[in-house]
Amino acid sequence: MKETYTFTVNGVERTTTEDKPLLRYLRDDLHLHSVKDGCSEGACGTCTIIVDGRAVKSCVLTTKRAVGKNIVTTEGLSDREKEAFVYAFGSKGAVQCGFCIPGMVMAGKALIDHVPDPTEEEIKVALKGNVCRCTGYKKIIEGIQLTAAILRGEAQIEPDLEKGDVYGVGQHAFRLDVREKVLGYGEYPDDVEMEGMVYASAVRSKYPRARILDIHAEKALALPGVLAVLTADDVPNNKVGHLQQDWDVMIAKGNITRCVGDAICLVVAETRAVLEKAKKLIKIDYEELKPVTSITEAMAEDAPKVHSKGNLCQSRHVTRGDAKKALAESKYVVTQTYKTPFTEHAFLEPESAVAFPYKDGVKVLSSDQGVYDTRKEISIMLGWDPERVVVENKLVGGGFGGKEDVSAQHIAALAALKVNRPVKVTFSRQESINFHPKRHAMEGTFTLGCDENGIFTGLDCEIYFDTGAYASLCGPVLERACTHSVGPYCYQNTDIRGYGYYTNNPPAGAFRGFGVCQSEFALESNINLLAEKVGISPWEIRYRNAIEPGKVLPNGQIADCSTALKETLLAVKDVYESNPGRAGIACAMKNAGVGVGLPDKGRAKLVVHDGKVELYSAASDIGQGCATVFVQMVAETTGLGKEQIVNKGANSEVAPDSGTTSGSRQTLITGEAVRMASADLNKDLQDAGGDLTKLEGKEYFAEFFDPTDKLGADVPNPKSHVAYGFATHVVILDEDGRVKEVYAAHDSGKVVNPISIQGQIEGGVLMGLGYALTEDFPLKDGVPQARYGTLGLMRSTQIPDIHAIYVEKEELLPFAYGAKGIGEIATIPTAPAAQGAYYAMDHVLRTKLPMENTYYSKKQKAVK
Amino acid sequence: MARVRKKKVAVVQCTGGCRRQTEISKASGNGCQQILETKAGTVSCEYGCLGGGSCIEACRLHAIYINAKGAAEVDPEKCAGCGLCAKACPRSLIRITDAEYNIYSACVSEDAGAQTRKNCETGCIACGICVRNCPMGAVSIENNHAVIDEEKCIACGMCAMKCPRGAIRDYNGIFTVREAQVGS
Repeated sequence: MKETYTFTVNGVERTTTEDKPLLRYLRDDLHLHSVKDGCSEGACGTCTIIVDGRAVKSCVLTTKRAVGKNIVTTEGLSDREKEAFVYAFGSKGAVQCGFCIPGMVMAGKALIDHVPDPTEEEIKVALKGNVCRCTGYKKIIEGIQLTAAILRGEAQIEPDLEKGDVYGVGQHAFRLDVREKVLGYGEYPDDVEMEGMVYASAVRSKYPRARILDIHAEKALALPGVLAVLTADDVPNNKVGHLQQDWDVMIAKGNITRCVGDAICLVVAETRAVLEKAKKLIKIDYEELKPVTSITEAMAEDAPKVHSKGNLCQSRHVTRGDAKKALAESKYVVTQTYKTPFTEHAFLEPESAVAFPYKDGVKVLSSDQGVYDTRKEISIMLGWDPERVVVENKLVGGGFGGKEDVSAQHIAALAALKVNRPVKVTFSRQESINFHPKRHAMEGTFTLGCDENGIFTGLDCEIYFDTGAYASLCGPVLERACTHSVGPYCYQNTDIRGYGYYTNNPPAGAFRGFGVCQSEFALESNINLLAEKVGISPWEIRYRNAIEPGKVLPNGQIADCSTALKETLLAVKDVYESNPGRAGIACAMKNAGVGVGLPDKGRAKLVVHDGKVELYSAASDIGQGCATVFVQMVAETTGLGKEQIVNKGANSEVAPDSGTTSGSRQTLITGEAVRMASADLNKDLQDAGGDLTKLEGKEYFAEFFDPTDKLGADVPNPKSHVAYGFATHVVILDEDGRVKEVYAAHDSGKVVNPISIQGQIEGGVLMGLGYALTEDFPLKDGVPQARYGTLGLMRSTQIPDIHAIYVEKEELLPFAYGAKGIGEIATIPTAPAAQGAYYAMDHVLRTKLPMENTYYSKKQKAVK
Repeated sequence: MARVRKKKVAVVQCTGGCRRQTEISKASGNGCQQILETKAGTVSCEYGCLGGGSCIEACRLHAIYINAKGAAEVDPEKCAGCGLCAKACPRSLIRITDAEYNIYSACVSEDAGAQTRKNCETGCIACGICVRNCPMGAVSIENNHAVIDEEKCIACGMCAMKCPRGAIRDYNGIFTVREAQVGS
């Protein structure tokens, strides 16, 4: 007789004959979808459950070893516990993308069950095995503290907060998605189950660069349960790409692969188990070729061409005034070369999509940063009118730029059309790491000059980006790196050359900061060196040069009335100056909106239906909280409460295109469209005496577009972007060289949601610290060497005290109630501020990220 | 029910998997030292627990006992992590660790794999499966046995699950079974 394994799950005795990871049993057999699969390697903690009172990763434990044990998942919490966690996490702002949250809840519960009044330190230790990439942990720790207090009876749940009758701009708004994310019933694509659904997965290249000689699929096809094996021959148009269509859906027989993420064939099977078996039965004959693994190699004359048109993917020349002359006449000049690494987004939710035949085409349930982008790429692949493809966002478990390109969506659509059934494609964690575009690795030489008073005169720089195997968003990312390499100052002589080269490394593309993390790291470091030469403090030199309203930015744009960089500098002055030899400072600016002459439009439609206002706007909420922000805009404009406003999410069939979640644009660009539509609705509402039912069936559509000038436009003061956010960060080290505190002062205009913005800032700062100190993406001949657990992501026990400060001015932009967006800028100044702090401490200039010879690098080395 | 906060706990880095040839008298409080000196009834592994009970004698909380295999084992519920047992062990097999690192390497044999396999049912043979499966890169093989770096370890238990020899243990008794749980 077959061995059986019996254990208790959420109070019910369960028996299985299969020995498999408990995670798979809980998700696939019991459909307990709060147990998230973030890595299946034991590294991320999203699948944390409680076993015999201990927090355990369910991907590690197996059904066989779980015999006799008592298992609890989020679904099995008592009602009292559920309410406590929902309220505490919501009110503290612990929830962003939400993918880590049920795991955090279970780790928190295991701790509270043992220690009803945990200290901050104890909570940090309890969360050590759980990664959060959004929040910076602080809000989660506060959430667990408040939960514990509620469960002890020392704090109360205030139901009005979640109800949200007062929900306007600036209010302590309880996010829309808290409950479903905390309790784990909210659906990400991998949680979708459909009648007749089957599974597909790509067999990917073994080598970064190799010719595909042959593909042997016979054995796989003979396996019962295998429905199809697709190759490039089955793709109507084998090229996709966010902007440039240079990305092969699959590498055809006879062609050459460009990176290890390349798909060679796509297997479709009835079950996950058969799928995995079938993939192993596919045999591919390769002719291994020497890969192009660096910018230098890519630039060599005799370099193999990664793409037929050559290895230079994109270049930009941004110039104004006469940098050469200005630098020659400068009192002080600093030239320095800097190097920054590829960085992995490490969003907690690996790429996943479900596609199924729909009407005269296909529908895709997706985790991405723009349903219309995904629709466009799929329609290009299929050679269809875009309307035949419908894309709808499920919950998105983090993106940070890494989900702008199609990954699982297009191959799911292809497979669904082939087998005429719903198909789910979910990436493994390593597949995700190997496939999606990273932050570009940069090598750049920056020359900055100033006069005897430290007033900047000119900048000359040359920026080289490794864009890896595919263009992805190389063009705009490189462009932002160039346009923002000048910093938020006011000097008028710049000569900036940027080049993005193809290599056989994994592709690089959009990542929070969009090229600016790289170039402002270099610039801000040079500023410190100039300050030293002039004999003034790093704070002083920045303040003397800081942009202010009415002054002209180095790109020629006149700074608008809302500009508050100086206010952010003043906000951190005392703390910077009171920590001499221990503090570093850096400023940054970041565009909000795509700008540069492109038709960057926000669109929103409001429909009064069943006595509620339904909001339709295809703007992906990737965890940052824009869905809530839009509802707050409606509430602010109409005076309605949260319960009367329904955000219908991003669905290309019913919601108008409101652009990509990219460039910190949703709050401002889509937010203004929402405000405009709300204002129209409110007018009618007032005419109807405030009775919404009288407007039943009415629709209000608005489109927001504030034109900008294209790069190099022949006007004296080109307007590149609708708005810029500004920030100053101060990093303070302790005696051992550990980051003790970070003060992050931000000008992002009007703050729409004070709790959310803190979480955005804290999470952005921690990401910036990782970039500066611990995160790396080592490659060996083009092959990623890191796994999720060894990327160097900061964990709860490593976080410093992060103080999020926002300065709000009286003068605001006339859009979206004056909000400017916070998404990216929070990540930008942290790394140079940390670098400056180390320079202040030991006077060693660290020109490479992650920085060498720090407390953190020594720790890494010591244990190797 | 609230339990006491626990900071430290002792773990014995041997599970007594070597087949002991003779019963050892535990009458003397200095049992282990005596065994070492007289060589009487010594276990075949020269790195393993002697089973003489010096640690038991030293422990004031009665948190240590000799398990079915004749090796000392700590009851983590009773242990306060004071470290007296660690001092008493002549082979330095007892390590005081943080309570949250419940996964530990339970063998410190420096013998080559083949020799350990001959001596012991549960000794580490330095096969490296744990090293390959650790998501954090926290496990390494040093002197022919697995060593876990607590700086990197997140106590996920993967190494304990994958160890073909049961040489990496979970003192919470979830990923690996505690001797006490099999009813010795």
